[in-house]
Amino acid sequence: MSIKFTEEQEMIRESVREFAQGKIAPIALQMEETKEIPRDVVRGMAELGLMTCTADEKYGGPGLDAVSAGVIAEELAKADCTGSTCVYYLVPASWGFLLNKYGTEEAKQEIFPKTVSGEWFLGIATTESDAGSDVGGTKTTIRPDGDEFVVNGEKMYISGVREAVKHGGGHVTIAHQTPERGTRGMTVFYLPLTVKGITPTYINDLGREGISCGGFSIDNVKIPKHYIIGEENKGFYILHEGYEYARALITVICASAGLKSLENGINYIQERKSFGKPLSQYQGINFKLAEHYTKLNMLRDWGYKALRTIDLEQEGKASRFETSKVVAMGKMFCSTWACDAINDVMQWQGAFGYSRECPDQAAWRAVRSFSLAEGSSEVMKMIVAREVLGKKQY
Amino acid sequence: MNMKFIVCVKQVPDTTEVKIDPETNTLIREGVPSVLNPFDQFALEEAIKIRQEGDEIIAISMGPPQAKKALLKCLALGADKAILLTDKVFAGADTWATSYTLVQCIKKIGAFSMIFCGLQAIDGDTAQVGPEIAAQLGIPQITYVESVEKLEGKKLTAKVQTDDGYKIVEVKLPVLITGITPSSFEPTNPPMINIMKANKKPFSTWDAEELGGNKHDYGLNGSLTEVIKVYSPPVRQQGVIIEEETAEASVQKLIELLSKDKVI
Repeated sequence: MSIKFTEEQEMIRESVREFAQGKIAPIALQMEETKEIPRDVVRGMAELGLMTCTADEKYGGPGLDAVSAGVIAEELAKADCTGSTCVYYLVPASWGFLLNKYGTEEAKQEIFPKTVSGEWFLGIATTESDAGSDVGGTKTTIRPDGDEFVVNGEKMYISGVREAVKHGGGHVTIAHQTPERGTRGMTVFYLPLTVKGITPTYINDLGREGISCGGFSIDNVKIPKHYIIGEENKGFYILHEGYEYARALITVICASAGLKSLENGINYIQERKSFGKPLSQYQGINFKLAEHYTKLNMLRDWGYKALRTIDLEQEGKASRFETSKVVAMGKMFCSTWACDAINDVMQWQGAFGYSRECPDQAAWRAVRSFSLAEGSSEVMKMIVAREVLGKKQY
Repeated sequence: MNMKFIVCVKQVPDTTEVKIDPETNTLIREGVPSVLNPFDQFALEEAIKIRQEGDEIIAISMGPPQAKKALLKCLALGADKAILLTDKVFAGADTWATSYTLVQCIKKIGAFSMIFCGLQAIDGDTAQVGPEIAAQLGIPQITYVESVEKLEGKKLTAKVQTDDGYKIVEVKLPVLITGITPSSFEPTNPPMINIMKANKKPFSTWDAEELGGNKHDYGLNGSLTEVIKVYSPPVRQQGVIIEEETAEASVQKLIELLSKDKVI
C-alpha cells in the first residue's frame, strides 16, 4: 500500500462512511428528481463537521488537513452516485481553505460559523460566459469606493447559486481591480448572493442534479473591505491555491466514483450469464476490468499524493510549482478514466445500464463534469507542460 | 459530587456473521475490518447521556495494540480518558480471565460510581464479562438496561427490559449495568472536530506488570473454560405459516401437514 492513513483519518473514514451509506446512499437517485439535497442531509453533514471542514477550530470548523478532506470526499463519492453531495462538500472545503488562509479575521468570524453549521453555502464563482479556465479573460470589475468596494459584471456556470440565494451565503469571486495590469491587477473577494444588485439565473446541468447550477449578474453591488481575500490586485495567484485544493479532491472523487461503479460491474458480470457462462469469463470484459481497476487505483493513489503535496506546501516542504504540477497530473485524467470505466460498466449491464434506475449512469453524468470543473483537462496539460519545460521553453 | 464512570469496551470484527476456521476452531478475522462493539457504543452513549459537568468517563479495553482504534473512537464520542490493557500474558483469556483483567484495571483506577458494559460482544456473544466483573468486585449489577432514567445522589433508577415488557429498578451506587440496545438507538457518528481532539486526550497502555494481580489468573492460565470446538450451527429450515381463513380451517391444514410428515 502506498497510502498510509493516520488513526484520525481512519476514524474519519469510518464515521463518514457510516453516515454516507446510511443517510445519503438510499436517497441519492431521489435527489435528481427533487433537484436538491434534503436539508436534513445537509444538517447531518454539518453536524459531522463536513461543511467547510478546512475552517480552523476557532471558527467552529475541525481544521482538517488536505488528506483528511480527501478521505471524506472519497466516502461521499462512494455513497452518492449523483455526485451532488460531493460538490456540496468539496466547494466549501476548497474555498474555505482559501478564506481560512487569506481571509480577514472579521470575514472569517462572520462567514465560517454560518457555513460550518450548514446554514450558508460557500461557493466559487470565477467562470463567466466568455471566460472559464482562462481566468485572465474575466470581465467583472471591482473598484474601491470609500470604505467599500463596488462590483459589476456577471458570473455563469456556477454551482450552488440557488442554495446561496435561498439559504444564505455567497461565493469566492474574482474581478479586475486594475484592468490595465491584466492578471496582476485582479482581486479575490467574498460576494454574498443575498444582497441588492444580484440577479440569479439557472441552468439545467447534465448531472449532479442535487445541487443547482446557474449564474448571476452583479449590478453595482457594494461589499465591505473586509470581504477582500488576500492582497488587492494579487488575487490571480492566491486563487490557484483554492483551485488546486478542489482539483486534488476531484481526482479522489473521480477515482472513488469509478471504483464504486466498477464494484457494481464486478457483481453484475459474475452473476449474469450469457451463452452459458458468466460475463466475467469473457476476456473482452475481464481485460477491460483489469485495465480500469488498475487505472482507477493509480488515480486514487495520485489523488492522495496531490493532497499530501498540498499539506506539505502548507508546512513549507513543497513549492507552489510542485503542488500545481502534481495536482494537474492527477486532474488531467481523472474524469476521462473514471468515465471510461463507468461507461463500460453501463455497457456490461445492457439495457439496465441505460436506464434512469441504474446508479452508474448518474455517476457517469456527474464524473463527466469534472473534465471541465475547476480547470479543464486541457488546462491541466498546459500546467504540466509548463512546469516540465520551464516557462522559457514552454 | 463528581462521579467516575468506567465503560468496558471491546474491538470486534465488523460483522455479525464471523466465519470459523474448522481446523483451528478460531474466528477468521483476515479481511474483516475491526470496529467498536456496537453494544458497547450504546453503553458508552448512556454514560455520556447522564454525565454532568465534572464527571469523568474512562473507557477501558483488553485487546491487542490495534484495539487502540476502538478506544480512540470512545474518546471521539466523548470519553475523557482511555486505558488499553495489552500483554501477551492476556492472550487466550476466556470470559472469566477477561473479567479478572478488567477488574485489576478498575481496582487500579480506584473509586468509581458506575461501570457500564454492553449486552455482549458481537463476535463471541457470551454476555458474561459484565456480570463477572460485578461478581468479582462484589457490587450489585443490573442487566438488560434499556436506559438510565435518573441518577440522584447515590441512587440510580434504570429502565430494564423483561420478557414481557419492562420494569423500573432502583439501586445504590456503586453499580455495574449492562445495556440492551433498544431498536430506536441510532449510534452517533463522531464529528470531525472530536476525532481531531481524541488523540490529545489522556491515553494509557497497561500491561500485566502494571496491573499487578496474580499472573496465573490472566489469559489462558486463568481461564476456567476450555474451548473444545467452535462451529456455526446448521441453518434451520424455514418454518411454515398457516394462514387459513378460519381457525377450523387452519387446524385442518395443520393436521394434514403433520399427517403428511407422519408426525401424527
